[in-house]
Order: sequence, then C-alpha cells, then structure tokens
Amino acid sequence: MKIGFPRALFYFDYFPFWAGFFYHLGIEVETSPPTHRQIMEDGLKKTSDETCLPLKLLAGHIQALKDVDAIFLPRMVSMEENTYNCPKFLGIPESLLSAVPPEIPVLSAVINWRKGQRQVLKDLRVLGMQLGKSGAEIHRAFLEGHEWQQHYQDSRGRKWDFEEKMREIEYVTRQTQKIKPENFSMQVSENHQNCQKDLKITLIGHSYLVQECYANLNLLQRLREHAEVNLIQHVEREDVEAHLSGLRKKLFWSHAKQIYGAGNKFVEDPTIDGIIYLTCFGCGTDSMVQELLAQKVRKHHKPYMVITLDEHTGEAGLVTRLEAFLDMVERRKVREGYVSAYGECLDSHSNTL
Amino acid sequence: MLGNDNYYLGADVGSVSTNLVLLSEKNEVALTLYLRTQGRPMQTIQEGIKVLRSKIGKSAKIIGVGTTGSARQLAATLLGADVIKNEITAHAVAASRVNPSVQTILEIGGQDSKIIILRDGVVSDFAMNTVCAAGTGSFLDQQAARLGIPIEEFGHLALEAASPVKIAGRCSVFAESDMIHKQQLGHALPDILAGLCQAMVRNYLNNVGKNKDIRGPIFFQGGVAANPGIRKAFEEELGQPIIVPEHFGVMGALGAAYLAQEKVGRQSELRTRFRGLQLGDIQFNARSFECSGCANRCEVVEILQEGSILARWGDRCGKWANAVGKGTYKGKSQEGEQQGA
Repeated sequence: MKIGFPRALFYFDYFPFWAGFFYHLGIEVETSPPTHRQIMEDGLKKTSDETCLPLKLLAGHIQALKDVDAIFLPRMVSMEENTYNCPKFLGIPESLLSAVPPEIPVLSAVINWRKGQRQVLKDLRVLGMQLGKSGAEIHRAFLEGHEWQQHYQDSRGRKWDFEEKMREIEYVTRQTQKIKPENFSMQVSENHQNCQKDLKITLIGHSYLVQECYANLNLLQRLREHAEVNLIQHVEREDVEAHLSGLRKKLFWSHAKQIYGAGNKFVEDPTIDGIIYLTCFGCGTDSMVQELLAQKVRKHHKPYMVITLDEHTGEAGLVTRLEAFLDMVERRKVREGYVSAYGECLDSHSNTL
Repeated sequence: MLGNDNYYLGADVGSVSTNLVLLSEKNEVALTLYLRTQGRPMQTIQEGIKVLRSKIGKSAKIIGVGTTGSARQLAATLLGADVIKNEITAHAVAASRVNPSVQTILEIGGQDSKIIILRDGVVSDFAMNTVCAAGTGSFLDQQAARLGIPIEEFGHLALEAASPVKIAGRCSVFAESDMIHKQQLGHALPDILAGLCQAMVRNYLNNVGKNKDIRGPIFFQGGVAANPGIRKAFEEELGQPIIVPEHFGVMGALGAAYLAQEKVGRQSELRTRFRGLQLGDIQFNARSFECSGCANRCEVVEILQEGSILARWGDRCGKWANAVGKGTYKGKSQEGEQQGA
C-alpha cells in the first residue's frame, strides 16, 4: 500500500511522526514534490477564497499526489496539553475534500493530546482498522513515530537545515532494513550558510511559511545571503515557556505560543540586530500575536518589519522591503556602535531610536 | 542648455512616473525630468535620455549613474548603472542631503506610500503600504478624472473648502462610493475634495504611519506632495509644519544620483558603467518566455539590444540570468563609445 502525504501545512512540523508511524507499519509514504507553480495554481482553484495561503497550498499538494492508494489528511487537533492547533487544522480533512481527485480515497486520523495519550491511541486504532492493523501494531507504530518526532525535534539547532532533515527522513522511509532514528546518518552540513555574518536577523513565522520557499519567494535563502538567520523553530520548548510570562492569559494556539515565546526571547536578546515577522494574509492567530510581539519589539527599539504573504509571484515588493530593511539594520548597527540603543530618553511607542 | 560639466545621473523608474535627475559635481541639481511611465518603462527611459541629451552641452559627461524605483533593475540594465538601490534608502539619502536634520519623511507615490523615520541622518524605521494601494497617487488621479478636474487643480480646489465633508478612508472603493453619495446630496466640490484629502491622510497615518514616532522636521515628498490639499490635511492632523522640498517629485532619483556620487566619488579610479547618451537611439526590446526546465515554469524576461541579449531575469534558479554574462553580451558594453555626443 502506498499513502500520499502532501508536503504542506502539517508536514512542516509533524511529518517525522507520521513517517515513523507508517514506516513501522510497512506502509510506503509518498510525499508530494516541493511546491511549484502548478501546485500553487491548482490549490488556488480548488479552495475557497476566504481561506489562507497555506491551506490553498495544501489543496494544491493534494492534487499533485498521483499514483497513490490513498491520501492521508490527519486532523491534528492538539499536540500537547492545553493547546490547540489553528482551527484550519481542525477542519481538515473535510474542508479540503473538494481538492481530492474523486478516484483516490482519503485516510484520516484524529490526533488530540488534550485528552491524553490513551485517546490518541484509541483514535489511531480507528485508522489501524482501516489499514488492517492490530491494536498492538498501532501502539508500536505510535511509539516509533513518537521516537522519530522526538529525534527530529531534538536535532533542531543552529546548523540544522530543514530540507536536509526532511530528505533524510524521506530517505529512511524508503529503506527496507530497519534504521533507528539515532542512526539516521546524513551529516549536518557544516558549511551551512549560517556561518560568520555580521548581521543577526530573526525570522519569525509559522513553519509552513518560513520553510515554504516557493511561496515565500525564497525569503530565508535571500536573508541568509546577508545575515545569520535565527528561526523560532529552533528554540527549545523550555525556552519558549520561560518567555511566555507577562501575558495575562495563556496562549492556547500551539503555533502562536511558539511564535510568541521564542519571538520574545529574540526580542530580548541584544545580539539580534533585527526581526522580520513573516505572516500570510488573513491569518487569525498572527493578527493577535504579531501585534503583541510588535509592542514588545518597540519597547526594545529593535528594527522590526512585517511581511505579509499572499499569492504574489512578483518579487519586487519583497526585495525592496528586504533590501531597505537590511540597509537600515546595517546602518543602525554602525551608529549604535557609539550610541546605546537601550539607553534613556526613548519613546516606548515606537521602535525608532 | 546646460554647461559642459560632469554630471551624476539618477533615475527613479516607478509604476507611474519615471524621473531623471542630473546632479553636478558641485552638488547642484542641474536638471530634473518627470515623465509618465505609462506602462512602458524602457521607452520612457530612452525618451528621457533623448531629452537629456538635447539639453546638455556636447562635451558634458555622465560620470556616475544610480537607479531606484520598482523598475530599478531594468533601468540599471538599460543605462548601465553604478549603483542600484531600493526606494527607501534613495529617498532617505536625498532628504538628509537636502536637510541633514530631517527626522521624518512622508512619501506618497503613484502606487505605494511609505514613511521613513530618520535619526541623525540614518534610517531608523520605515514602513510601506501593505497589500492595498488605497490612498496613493493613482487613486487621486482616478478620482480627479472621474470628477472631471485636472489633477493639478485638485489640491487648490480642496483648499477652498469651507467645511470639508467626512469621507470613509479605509478603502478606496468605500471612499469612492462615499464620495458619490456626498456629491449626490449636493455638497460642494471643494468640500468633497478636502474631505477626500483628510480621509487619505487619516488612512495613511493609520496604516503606514502606525506606531511611528513622527517628529519634525517633516518632509513630504513624492508626486502627491504637489497637492496642497493633502499637505494641509497632514499639517492639521500632525499639528506640525510640513516641508515640501524643492525637488519633491524627483527625490528618489536625486537620492540615486547622490548614491552614484558616493560610490563613484569614493573610488576615483572607478569608471562609470554608463552606456552612453546615444542609448536613446538604440533599439531595445523586451520579451518574455516561460521556461520549461522545471515545474515552476518561471516567466523569464529578456532584454535585447539590437538582437543581442543584454540581461535576463525572473528565473528562480538563475540559470537564464547567469547565462547572459557568459554569452554574447559581456565586453560589449564597456567597449562602446562612452559618450556619444
């Protein structure tokens, strides 16, 4: 059996779990190719105009999956206690059924950690029945998936490259002999772009925007040509938790929590020269979190810019903003060499010096 | 007719206008040209160069070229630019050269609007309009045309308003329907125009100017600065005097010229890459094709000079763009007559 897994939305955070899960069950997983123009166009045609770009891309990826026995669209409700994924994750698969080619069946599974591991396993067993797997097999597959996910999350760090990591996982899933996550062998490339650059920029945003290099017009790569880039995805969970204080109410969206907590850490880090917030048009959680973070940034007078993505393919707007931002950060950095950015007589309603 | 000096050329090729500035070595603005781009940037640049050539002395020389604006890449290819800069930096450089103490720049152009905050002559913060072009020059143009008044008179009429009406400013579509309602109720034209100016300024300050620390001296530049109605609305809203610099309409081009001067002036041995004033008469063509190398099907643009390829862009992988220098083009540009008088 071959299952199609779209390279979009939940892929960017949770693919390792599903890869390990299906690998254990001996089910082949085929991912759709990295986003290209046709995928984007197909996605735009099959979704409601009201929804966000990442979901439209997902619809495109679904259509790009050919020659598979089923398309897998999990409903990832919650990944840890007290948090939810964005409502658009919760509406999957129903909200995307119109994009699925009629001859291909859809497989789904609910993942809801709010109700604990027992419920997760129970829901996975429902999937197991459709796949003809026993409860015990599902349990072991769950553990393997969990291990893969853990390994993946632990490996996130400064020299880590998302695409390489994903290639590694996809490579392992195609091997017949069993390989344990700790023996996933592809070396982390040392010559990664993240070496010796004067500027340190943090790129904040959902994984499915930051790592989606077609839709974000190669923003990450463009930035890396000029600066050392830090991503919020690399920040440890404890670090995120530690920087959530000061909020009057807990953030219960998991991505929003990661973005705000990790973002906060970078805002407070004096070695970071500038922060770029990448969002997409119509994102509900970002509309709140971006503003919360912007307020923090202004208190620290850091250069800050929001880039809003939609279906643009023209690069001029992005390039202009990026160039101007980097020019500004560079020149400010030179000037702050002798004027403290954190000194007095600063206005906390502006991120101007 | 200008003298036979050496000049720096700044070109700002935007969506609505193409501006050229000649800056003398003594930092004097010798010539400014404001042309409508009308969707044909290449022809407009060439036209501009022709005008330029007819106005300067036979032995005058261009010793440095800077380009900016949304078509800066295209302009740079055509002209042979020494420096290519984004509009924000260009505007900031120009303003701080004109007045080193300037702290805020309000810039409203044809399709975009921006605010630039400077401290000690350095850009400290900026913002550009995001997804929508409401409240930019094109919208004013369109409304002026709808009301049948020349855009030049728009502002002056607005100043005659006795009691400006309130116009919804969030979106230009709303603004337009609101204006029509007011007009049908019988409000005077100046009152409606003044109301529109206020709505635009409100919208600008709420969107682009959000959370910015606007301090004086404040410069107002870009094509819309020609409109005294908007200027007055800004002054009322901000409670501070607004300075419209002499060359407000071509500040981007002026900034590009200053940047060219900085670049070329610093390295005296550096010779400009300017392709010569005869380029007004050369046949340039642009064509585009869809690359079929991969599923991205990039739209590649090719700029041709009399049949040979000058530059390409638009491909994500860079294989077309990079192939140019290795082929027919390289060497040709620098050899050609530097100044065809």
